[in-house]
Amino acid sequence: VSRRFVDSVALVAGFTALAGSTAAFRLWLGVSNPTIVALVFLLVVLVVAAIARLWVAVVVSTAAMLAFNYFFLPPIGTWTIADPQNWVALFTFLAVSLVASNLSASARARAQEAHHRRDELSRLFDLSRDVLVMTDAQALTALARSMAARFGLDFVAIALPYGDDWQRFEAGPRHFSIDASVLSRVFAEASGTVEFDARARTYSGHALHAADGANVRIAPLRLGVKPIGLLAAAGPIDPGTLDVLAGIAALAIERTRFLEERKSADLTRQREELKTTLLASLGHDLRTPLTAIRVAAANLGGDWLSQTDRIEQADVILAEAERLTRLFQNILDMARIDAGPLAAAVTLAPPADIIAAAREQVEQALRHHRVAVTLESDEPVRLDPRLTAAALAQLLENAAQYSPPGSQIRVAARRVGQEWRVTVTDAGPGIAPEDRPRLFDRFFRGAAAQGRPSGLGMGLSIARGLLAAEGGRVWAENPPEGGAAFTIAVPAEPSPESAADTR
Amino acid sequence: MTSTARILLVDDEPSIQRAVSPLLRSRGYDVTVVGTGAAAVSAARDASPDLVVLDLGLPDLDGTEVCSRIRAFSQVPIVVLSARGGETDKVRALDLGADDYVTKPFGPEELLARIRVALRRLSAVVPAESGQLQAGDLLIDYDRRRVVRSGEEIRLTPKEFELLSLLARNADRVLTHRAILKAIWGPNAVEQPEHLWTLVGQLRKKLENDPANPRYLLSEPWVGYRFQSEAQS
Repeated sequence: VSRRFVDSVALVAGFTALAGSTAAFRLWLGVSNPTIVALVFLLVVLVVAAIARLWVAVVVSTAAMLAFNYFFLPPIGTWTIADPQNWVALFTFLAVSLVASNLSASARARAQEAHHRRDELSRLFDLSRDVLVMTDAQALTALARSMAARFGLDFVAIALPYGDDWQRFEAGPRHFSIDASVLSRVFAEASGTVEFDARARTYSGHALHAADGANVRIAPLRLGVKPIGLLAAAGPIDPGTLDVLAGIAALAIERTRFLEERKSADLTRQREELKTTLLASLGHDLRTPLTAIRVAAANLGGDWLSQTDRIEQADVILAEAERLTRLFQNILDMARIDAGPLAAAVTLAPPADIIAAAREQVEQALRHHRVAVTLESDEPVRLDPRLTAAALAQLLENAAQYSPPGSQIRVAARRVGQEWRVTVTDAGPGIAPEDRPRLFDRFFRGAAAQGRPSGLGMGLSIARGLLAAEGGRVWAENPPEGGAAFTIAVPAEPSPESAADTR
Repeated sequence: MTSTARILLVDDEPSIQRAVSPLLRSRGYDVTVVGTGAAAVSAARDASPDLVVLDLGLPDLDGTEVCSRIRAFSQVPIVVLSARGGETDKVRALDLGADDYVTKPFGPEELLARIRVALRRLSAVVPAESGQLQAGDLLIDYDRRRVVRSGEEIRLTPKEFELLSLLARNADRVLTHRAILKAIWGPNAVEQPEHLWTLVGQLRKKLENDPANPRYLLSEPWVGYRFQSEAQS
């Protein structure tokens, strides 16, 4: 509802009330006591003053005074006043109604001001809530957008110095192009002094820039006394509010920077931890075989060993050399995976061969376990047999590491739709729920591996990397009968012969 | 003859067990092998071996924890096998009562020498505060606080004598910097090794023929010092 409309209604209503009450007093009620009339007229004036602006109240007050004089002060029906006492009454009435109008108007102005402030506060409150959900620097555009929306601005831009240039995050229905040199000049001025202007509720450093036929206010974003950027806005906003917005934007920027720094610090720390554990276990995985080989070789060189002991010592050397070879192969595989996409060489291969090749690669690791293989079909599959076997070997080695010696490892291969799947199930403790998300991460070692000095946490990540090269997947689950089950799934078209058979 | 000494070998790596136990048996030791820390503690209690060879990386307990648990009831010499890169674990194990350490990868002679020394220390027990120690051409008289080298008395300050007798009473055993600092300067000095470096330097100048190549006061880099009673070839 517009101000002018309210004023007109109040004016008409005021006159109607005056005319109505005058008619009522004179024609029907026969009231002639000037005091009662003055009180009623005063009431009308106060009601008008409470609703409308001051000038309306003044007009109604004057009309009321004239009506009071003409109709109720003797001699009635004339503009003259006989009794000097009534002069006093008339002007007192006018004065009271003017003062009351004035008081009421200023009270309303204050209420409006308070309402405006409360409104502004609630917008700022909403805005700071928007800031809380921002986590990265790109969200600054979102912040500009939410400033424009919440404060009804035509244009908002957050500008951050970026070398000589300015990085801008803009929003709002209109767009103003502000030259970088203008921004740099305002920024340089703001870097000078910081003073607070209590009347305008702003710190120094504000600038007004005329662009495309509108005034754009520019305020510095300050952290402490140091400006870190600029906030430009066009639309109905006073400098004090803009200053507060600039403060919120500065905090938001600082917060995102802080979050980013912490993220990178976290990453650095994680990398350091990884490096430490990696070096420790690499140290162990190299030193243990080397020690065993050295001692066993020295034993072989002595003359105190029986023939059986000699064979035993030779076996220690072979087993440890095998372990070093395997470690070397793993490091090599990892480097190959890192070096870029592996080329899959897809060919036709019998499933039994793939499983046999995998077992052979980790023969040493499997020597204390029984391996039971179940093949659903002997039908050859079309995939990369080397990559698949290498990945499967990792799963077998992993199963052997995490299940008690002498227990059984079950390997079951089958075709599911367009995929060839192999599941390796062990009799170990299964996968701890907290390990699940990182199980296939490089150098991750699960809860069951804590305290075990050997193992680098490479195997499962290598398996995943190798399989990715041929579009395959690997996943883990804890089957109801216990242990852990790892499944490899590789896309494998049925061989042409078998396709011909089914036809 | 120490050849009937009983050794408890604690290592979870089958290959180390398979290579080291025949080596020790060939030298006449009686070897028991266990693979976990818990088994090591109970074997040390029940079988009371003459020496424990303890790997620090065990599947169930931390090696240093095993050390302190065994020390709770036994003074059996402990030689620690450490495969970890850092010195911290070694030092912790020594502080918790281990006598010596060998770093993997080690050769057979290294391990055998450490075992011999630790067993000898056991057989030649020095009375705690009294008596004398003859090592090479050096005679240390604990009672009269005198040190004589080749018949010639060496004048030592009280602190120097304190350090020498501490190391000599623990002859052939590694004492960590921390342990020495605590024993001589008190618990507040354990973070100030420079006291110790200076004192060892002074002592070597007085005792050693060639302070740069010490015969008695050996440094164990980053770990501590060792008083060597018999010259190594």
